[in-house]
Amino acid sequence: MLLLVATFFMAFVLLLYMLSPLISPKPLALPGAHVVVTGGSSGIGKCIAIECYKQGAFITLVARNEDRLLQAKKEIEKHSINDKQVVLCISVDVSQDYSQVENVIKQAQEKLGPVDMLVNCAGMSISGKFEDVEVSTFERLMSINYLGSVYPSRAVITTMKERRVGRIVFLSSQAGQVGLFGFTAYSSSKFAIRGLAEALQMEVKPYNVYVTVAYPPDTDTPGFAEENKTKPLETRLISETTSICTPEQVAKQIVKDAIVVTMGLFRMLSLLYLRSFDTIIRRCMVERTKYEITDKTA
Amino acid sequence: MLLLVATFFMAFVLLLYMLSPLISPKPLALPGAHVVVTGGSSGIGKCIAIECYKQGAFITLVARNEDRLLQAKKEIEKHSINDKQVVLCISVDVSQDYSQVENVIKQAQEKLGPVDMLVNCAGMSISGKFEDVEVSTFERLMSINYLGSVYPSRAVITTMKERRVGRIVFLSSQAGQVGLFGFTAYSSSKFAIRGLAEALQMEVKPYNVYVTVAYPPDTDTPGFAEENKTKQGNFNSSIGSDGYMLSSLTCGMAPVTSITEGLQQVVTMGLFRMLSLLYLRSFDTIIRRCMVERTKYEITDKTA
Repeated sequence: MLLLVATFFMAFVLLLYMLSPLISPKPLALPGAHVVVTGGSSGIGKCIAIECYKQGAFITLVARNEDRLLQAKKEIEKHSINDKQVVLCISVDVSQDYSQVENVIKQAQEKLGPVDMLVNCAGMSISGKFEDVEVSTFERLMSINYLGSVYPSRAVITTMKERRVGRIVFLSSQAGQVGLFGFTAYSSSKFAIRGLAEALQMEVKPYNVYVTVAYPPDTDTPGFAEENKTKPLETRLISETTSICTPEQVAKQIVKDAIVVTMGLFRMLSLLYLRSFDTIIRRCMVERTKYEITDKTA
Repeated sequence: MLLLVATFFMAFVLLLYMLSPLISPKPLALPGAHVVVTGGSSGIGKCIAIECYKQGAFITLVARNEDRLLQAKKEIEKHSINDKQVVLCISVDVSQDYSQVENVIKQAQEKLGPVDMLVNCAGMSISGKFEDVEVSTFERLMSINYLGSVYPSRAVITTMKERRVGRIVFLSSQAGQVGLFGFTAYSSSKFAIRGLAEALQMEVKPYNVYVTVAYPPDTDTPGFAEENKTKQGNFNSSIGSDGYMLSSLTCGMAPVTSITEGLQQVVTMGLFRMLSLLYLRSFDTIIRRCMVERTKYEITDKTA
């Protein structure tokens, strides 16, 4: 009897919460919208730009390398659906200096109007054991992946709050949901993105600005190729438990989730996964120790 | 029938996991152990140093300000339980330069032997709205709270792995479990600590080195006495009933060191998620009310 009452009560509360107007934000209309994509010259960023462009948006691509920006621009423009669409390219390092980033956003807004959606794709990945990774890597990854998302977001947030409309997308990673072997520096930067996004969303929700955090799995991009260069064996073996995606798949899902604004069993499964990871790591360690012993006795 | 089978199967798997030798790490013996506490001259760090000292450890305090270090040293030494105990003070900024930190750890190890436990308490907190906080704050908090934990950890990890014993403690925060209004810069740095700790734990587990992440409430420093995290090597360390709920709710893919912890998480997850949604709704209401008030105030200001 008590259980029944409790269930009804919970269901009622959840219903209330569901009907709360904040739950169903109006979808962002992409045709004519101004979308800024940092890290938009390659990888997931470029695919997101293409996806938005295909749906009628005006794109500002932000990245460091001018040649790659122009190449990406040409590729994106192939997907135009009308004559008015524009792809603007601006070259800057989004992690270096906030005033530079502010300036870039200002330029973009002068040409294409206020920013409706900002997609923070600028980022890089380096993997390796905690004591093997170069010491500067911790700061570098945090700078590019985290500060490089903070600065552009800060440059657009005031206008978005004033206009009472906006979308900010952050690219975290599955490594930002679980700390994995070989990703001490990378996971930290991607976890930080999540903390930033959660706190930011709480601040901007009353202003009809919505934050999306994406957690892509291993995706077939130049960034991933870079990550694989120094990847330890344990990390590679663990990664084999999930499949690799194409950036197009990832981009489509991210854009869909950004426009529209949504355990028990999973926890058990996650415990099983963790155990298998630990087993892989332990086996590698045993192998390595054996190898060192035979090496010494040889 | 199927449900029964499924339950038995799950129970069997969990039992296996329980019996796995990695589940019950030998408690670290504090008497005679060398404990390094960064940020140990004040706050939680100082209290942790006192607590370890009371249990017989040899302490190395690391902080920036020499006067406060000496004051803390005097305070800690009052709690000595034998003649041999030592409190060593070394002044350095743990977030500036890795080679300096490496040097400090080397000095400490020359005087008090290899480090058995490292407690990363060096940190600071600044809160404010995302667009109001000084731009440099994001980098500063990340530098002190995150890099300031990375560098000392890196300086001790190789020796700990060689000796096959060690504890590394990270201080996150409840703001590192949930991103809160006004904590964009701080929450990010504390979430980063969690990612670091999870990844590091996965790497060092086979070497009998254990990582603990603490999620203290973001207010006054509570007594460290009620926390036995150093003895059991729990991954999650939380305080109070709110803390318990948050830790269970946000356990995510964090590892467990005890079967009861895992079972508790499995059973309470759904309920706590519902509770968390209620909490979030009340936060949103508070924020929305404040915003409406503020807008009204601005309108009356203009018409005045």
